[in-house]
Amino acid sequence: MTDATLDDLLRVFFAEAEENLATMEQGLLALERMPADEETINTVFRVTHSLKGGAACVGFELVSDFAHVAEDLLDRIRDGSLRATTEIITALLLSVDTLRDLIRASAAGRTTLTADEESLADLIRRIAQHDSGAVEALKSATRRPAARGNALTRTVRVETERIDRMVDLSGEMAIALGRMRHVAETLPRATAEPLIETWHECERLFLDLQELVMKARMVPIGTLFAPFHRTVRDLAREREKTARLTVAGDDVEIDHDVADRLRDPITQLVRNAVDHGIESPDARAASGKEPCGQITMSAVRESGMIVIRIRDDGAGISRERVIAQATRHGVLQDSPILSDAETLALLFRPGFSTAHEINDVSGRGVGLDVVRRNVEALHGSVSIESIEGSGATFTIRLPLTLAIIDGFGVSVGDEQFVIPLPLVTECLQFPADARRDEAGGILDLRGEPLPFVRLGRLLGVAAPPSARENVVIVQCGDRRAGIAVDHLVGESPVVVKPMSELFRAVPGISGSAILGSGQVALILDVPVLLEELKEIA
Amino acid sequence: MTDQQITTQQQYLTFAVCDDDYAVPILRVKEIIAFDSVTRVPRTPSFIRGVINLRGSVVPVIDLAQKFGYPESRTTRSSCIVIVEMALDDKPIVLGVLVDAVNQVVDLLDEDIQEPPSFGTRVDIGFLVGMGRAGKKFVLILDIDKVLAASDVIAAADAAAPAEDLAGESAA
Repeated sequence: MTDATLDDLLRVFFAEAEENLATMEQGLLALERMPADEETINTVFRVTHSLKGGAACVGFELVSDFAHVAEDLLDRIRDGSLRATTEIITALLLSVDTLRDLIRASAAGRTTLTADEESLADLIRRIAQHDSGAVEALKSATRRPAARGNALTRTVRVETERIDRMVDLSGEMAIALGRMRHVAETLPRATAEPLIETWHECERLFLDLQELVMKARMVPIGTLFAPFHRTVRDLAREREKTARLTVAGDDVEIDHDVADRLRDPITQLVRNAVDHGIESPDARAASGKEPCGQITMSAVRESGMIVIRIRDDGAGISRERVIAQATRHGVLQDSPILSDAETLALLFRPGFSTAHEINDVSGRGVGLDVVRRNVEALHGSVSIESIEGSGATFTIRLPLTLAIIDGFGVSVGDEQFVIPLPLVTECLQFPADARRDEAGGILDLRGEPLPFVRLGRLLGVAAPPSARENVVIVQCGDRRAGIAVDHLVGESPVVVKPMSELFRAVPGISGSAILGSGQVALILDVPVLLEELKEIA
Repeated sequence: MTDQQITTQQQYLTFAVCDDDYAVPILRVKEIIAFDSVTRVPRTPSFIRGVINLRGSVVPVIDLAQKFGYPESRTTRSSCIVIVEMALDDKPIVLGVLVDAVNQVVDLLDEDIQEPPSFGTRVDIGFLVGMGRAGKKFVLILDIDKVLAASDVIAAADAAAPAEDLAGESAA
């Protein structure tokens, strides 16, 4: 089924379900007044049945199963073996509410009943089996304050440009509110006070509004994950393997733009897992594994980040081969002693594997540097863990939304720049005894050598040398370095704006941000700067 | 863009860049704003003055004097940014043009407009549609779509670390 036809089906289902539930509800209320009215019973039974069928058709199993339970009870009333007592009507009305919730929940990807829903279903089953205890139990059942209103998930398609414009405007409003406050504070106190009070109220309302606007950009990550079931199956067949994809956390919400831009890197990782991770069924059987390989894709929210893991239970990554390969391709010059993490990080280095025949030999590393670049462009990071013989896990960490990031402001001369906060590990004053004229060099960080660069010199910002400099230490993958700047402005959330088409690719600049003052600051592309630093230092 | 084909009569906005007067069709001008702070973008050619926040959009500003090779200009209280829409690679982009002063809106008839002179102007005639007479003065009519070519975008992208370039510009 194509997405379009499924969408159409869903739209029809939502509309019909809405009507059916309303009919059920009215019918049940009528039945309470006239318990023996055959026509009403038949109507309620019919709409419940048709709701069940519709739900099964769009794959909302929770809804169809629950409707089935209600239908059974209605059947008892229809055949006269049960009387439609107030308690039974209550139970059925509760199931109408529950069905409403379940439709909404199924649309959002939920696949299990909550404990409350489970116990209601159970109760109705027992009533249908003439269990008088159940009817008693129902009396004590408290009626949840169901979110009434007549809406199921009413959805409207909105062009993303419009939502982006809303985000833009809310960013602008934040700035205007800031100015308003500033103006109010310059007024005499008596005039200012009521104004500031009003301002507080505006600010509070605005924050709520902004949160809603941001949420409008979010989609469940399941929409990104779902097509990969097919990818895994088809790819595995092509390679004469068998593999199954399991997905977890598909209701985690993610910025639609981020979801779009994750499609390529995730495809790459899934391909790698099938191509090189999962062994042939024979090899798997020989090492005592299920012949069918398992690939797991999961998403969770962890402290303001989205963490996506792609795990396979294949052969894992051979460290010896990684090192051999890296040495052969000049990624690794001499043979340093590397930790496991450092060894695996080599896979992300550019040039680790570019030619096609290499990946067949190496096992891994097809375009992983591209994956890393894509993820870093989203202000995220990617890492690998692997246990030889039992599989590898790729972990992608991303900020929740692209529209607002936590930034760390720095300045050089009159120019302000923003460093994505997750990359900043610490700040320190530039050592007084170090030289002030070079573009970069090595600093002594608690006994460890730390390469650093002067941002102004690196970017060619014209500014007189500052007497007091600060160093922002950034960490990006396995690389750490200091960025020397004049002033630290500090952290604050910034609204990220795309750069004009005119600057499709300015090296070292990943985008722009509008500061609270209304000024534009450029966001540093830290991975690229660190790459350049390697060439200087 | 066909609206550059002058047919009968059009309104033009005239502005000064150094000592010369230029004009663009008023229909291409979205607004005029006072010159305020512009954020410089490192590693871009010197004629790119920087970016500004135009009601929530980040808009690039180009320095016409630099682009046309005038001697260094200074921004003054009369400096303005003319916001225009132009085509770049056939896609419309919004762009700010830094000018020394905005003069007036003039009506120009077809017969007021002549071929651009092949010499005597500082600016490359490839950037011009023609030359018009506004009162006693001549104005150079810009072909705004030609002022920035696709190659300028690539130039911006390839201009990795022309530090000297930027140092020179900052004196402007």
